[in-house]
Amino acid sequence: MSSKPNVKELLIESSCEHNSKKRTPCNAPTPGATSGGCAFEGAQISLFPYADAVHLVHGSMTCLGSSWETRTTKTSWQGRDFTQMGFATDISVNDVIFSGEKKLTGAIAYIVELYAPEAVFVYSTCVTALIGDDIDQVCAQSAEKYGIPFVPVHAPGFVGSKNLGSRLGGEAVFRHLIGTKEPDKVTPFDINLIGEYNVTGDMWQYSHLLDELGIRVLSSLSGDGRVAAIRTAHRAKLNVIVCAKSLVSLTRKMEEKYQIPWISLSFYGKRDTSDGLRSIATALGDPDLIERTNQLIAREEEQLEQQLQPYRVLFAGKKAVLNTGGNKSWSIAAALQDLGLEVVGTSVRKATEDDRTKARKYLGENGVLMMNPGAEQAKLIDDTEAHLLLAGGRSLYTAIKKGIAFIDVNQEKKKSYGGYQGLLNLAEDVKNALENPVFSLVGRKTPWSH
Amino acid sequence: MVTLKTAASKPLQVNPLKLSQPMGATLAFLGVDGCMPLMHGGQGCASFTKVYLTRHFSEPIALQTTAVTDVTAILDGGDYSIVESIKNIRKKVLPELIGLYTTGLPETKGDDICGVASQIDCPLVYVNTADYEGGLESGWALTCKALIQQLTAETDQIDDNKVVLLPHVSMQPIEVEKVKDFIAAFGFQVLALPDLATSLDGHLGEKQAALSHGGITVEEIAGLADAGLVISVGHSMQASAEVLQQKNSFIRHLHFPHLSGLVATDSLVEQLLTETRFRHPPAVVERWRKRLQDAMLDSHFSMGQTRFLVVGEPDHLVGLCESLYEAGGRVSVAIATVNSPQLEEIKAEQVLVGDLEDAEQMADQYDLIVGNFHCEALAHRHHKGLVTRGFPNWEQVGNQLKNDLLYEGGAYFLFECANVASAHREQLEAS
Repeated sequence: MSSKPNVKELLIESSCEHNSKKRTPCNAPTPGATSGGCAFEGAQISLFPYADAVHLVHGSMTCLGSSWETRTTKTSWQGRDFTQMGFATDISVNDVIFSGEKKLTGAIAYIVELYAPEAVFVYSTCVTALIGDDIDQVCAQSAEKYGIPFVPVHAPGFVGSKNLGSRLGGEAVFRHLIGTKEPDKVTPFDINLIGEYNVTGDMWQYSHLLDELGIRVLSSLSGDGRVAAIRTAHRAKLNVIVCAKSLVSLTRKMEEKYQIPWISLSFYGKRDTSDGLRSIATALGDPDLIERTNQLIAREEEQLEQQLQPYRVLFAGKKAVLNTGGNKSWSIAAALQDLGLEVVGTSVRKATEDDRTKARKYLGENGVLMMNPGAEQAKLIDDTEAHLLLAGGRSLYTAIKKGIAFIDVNQEKKKSYGGYQGLLNLAEDVKNALENPVFSLVGRKTPWSH
Repeated sequence: MVTLKTAASKPLQVNPLKLSQPMGATLAFLGVDGCMPLMHGGQGCASFTKVYLTRHFSEPIALQTTAVTDVTAILDGGDYSIVESIKNIRKKVLPELIGLYTTGLPETKGDDICGVASQIDCPLVYVNTADYEGGLESGWALTCKALIQQLTAETDQIDDNKVVLLPHVSMQPIEVEKVKDFIAAFGFQVLALPDLATSLDGHLGEKQAALSHGGITVEEIAGLADAGLVISVGHSMQASAEVLQQKNSFIRHLHFPHLSGLVATDSLVEQLLTETRFRHPPAVVERWRKRLQDAMLDSHFSMGQTRFLVVGEPDHLVGLCESLYEAGGRVSVAIATVNSPQLEEIKAEQVLVGDLEDAEQMADQYDLIVGNFHCEALAHRHHKGLVTRGFPNWEQVGNQLKNDLLYEGGAYFLFECANVASAHREQLEAS
């Protein structure tokens, strides 16, 4: 039987709020007016952080040649970090005509011999999907031959967006890994972290707190993840989705099949981190754990408050405009508020219904939710006399024109803003931006033109 | 003794250096003013390319996609998605040129983009650049060829003052500018095709442009065939020069495999003197030649004790290796992304077509790496020095203004290599 997932089913995810309103899923991109990555990229984002597995991309050079080693997802895996390596079959005209399966089989043999990975994920891409290379069969045969898991990932770019690709990645893990192994031991406080990719070590900003509370991360999809661990994920007591709507399908299916409840939360900013820890404890339902969690939160918040005090003085009365996508539209807003800045507006153009509700909650009645930030943000800066713009690189010009400070939020970040301590990193960046004279100097008029 | 190996026996790429043809095509179209590069393929190819180039140049990159889906891949011969794309692009901006090029997906299903192009009534150049063939260099070169074939008007008039420069893809914006200026200093009017010097050189514009901003204009491309001289740099660009000559058989062609180091620059000067009535090159050129001579001597001690790994696109690789060789640098391993006749000329102990896994397996044979961002992890793991060159360089800023060519850039390049090599040796001794 083919392991190809039902794409339509994934698109009308019943656990998504917007699907109660929309009749048809909007998936088809508009030719000539499309931005954003493809399904393959989504699968790559959600699965590549498994550093103990080799990720073999079966396709032509664009897919991997331009995208390997782009995401700083950190791992504590002691072996070679395969996440930061690139493996591609680099198919040729010959393969396109006569099938690339032989090359794929050869590549797998080569990888197993030289790198001895814990597992191999095989990704189909547009061309190899179109010519009908059977990665299911190659994976099944290889698993039998080499005795390690082989996971076919059916997320060729042309089936849809990055978001869909992440779902497809989750689907592959659900079908081929979860439930295939029993854990050595179980505890009453075992959780899975789903959609936490540990970019710049975000996860490590709060994982030590979970440890301290006795909450065990049984497995993760896929930050600092291990293949052996995700195979035991069906024994967890709770699924925790971190900042990633796309994997709701996975947690819903795990609930249906393994009766594991799920919650969705974020670890950005003080309030979200505290709320997140509290909701995990509450969901696990142990009164003692809840009590200890509240104590830990009180301790951490107090310590953070002291560390933030000097920044609060600096940021008093400062206003910020935020223009970013998805859950960042409210999570970064919340973090900025925690630093004592006033967030006067945020973009909700790419946000889900749920994200918009949250953004409204954080910004309050007077906050502006921008539907068309490209056109709106300049005026908003004028109207509110904002001091800081946090946005993607494209908005830099707006900041320069207005002579206000700018922080690029969309660039692959080099440091973590997550958890309690990450807030200090954000505070330092905000401080540096506000103090930097470049934004007013660089836009200086030429002295010779009047 | 040079041995040329190709890694044909390997069924995959591990830590690839190789980049795709559509990416090369994207860059070439970005060297044309007011252009919207339109990649015919799945949306991801364009997205990956855009992010990649944005990070390398720290500049916004104009690029659109026909966003072929699994459904249109089957039902559409390309007509719908291309026509629809152009309609949607023109709703927002009016490009001077649409650069239409393919990826592997439409090539596999056999879209006839030439046929579709004939139905379009706005300025458009099309080129086939499947990503399962060639690489970055050929994608750029094929696009350059297509621009000439489809835009340049035939003529039999000659303007002896006019020179067309055809740079290879690895020449960074400032390098294109330096070569243009160098030739112009001999009294020529120089046009580069493509011209990244004025588009991706990282200049603060008035506002964020939706199209490529700067570069050679469509009108200038149309009028290229009255140039007295065409100068191609890099083997990949030779075919483009020949296509230009087909537009006007009176155009003379000078070809340079690269413009790195003393000997290659001397040969350019020599040819330019022959073409002009100049007895001497301009004073500033002579001054820079002396500075390069001095740089070679100043750096030779460090270079002479350094073994190099150099990786890159063939046209780039050949020049880098020559520069190092001239100052005594010992290139023990040179790795090219794809095969090219030029590789035979490289002065290195071993030359191969391969990836960074090959480089890693030979890690005991070099001290210093000249290569792209992906070499950083390799350098780190095996305690090698690194001079970052080539696509991509996501770690450092200022790539567009790094000049390694001619007398001037050659001097800076040698100093940088010698200094990094010395610092690296000291670090190794200290540890």
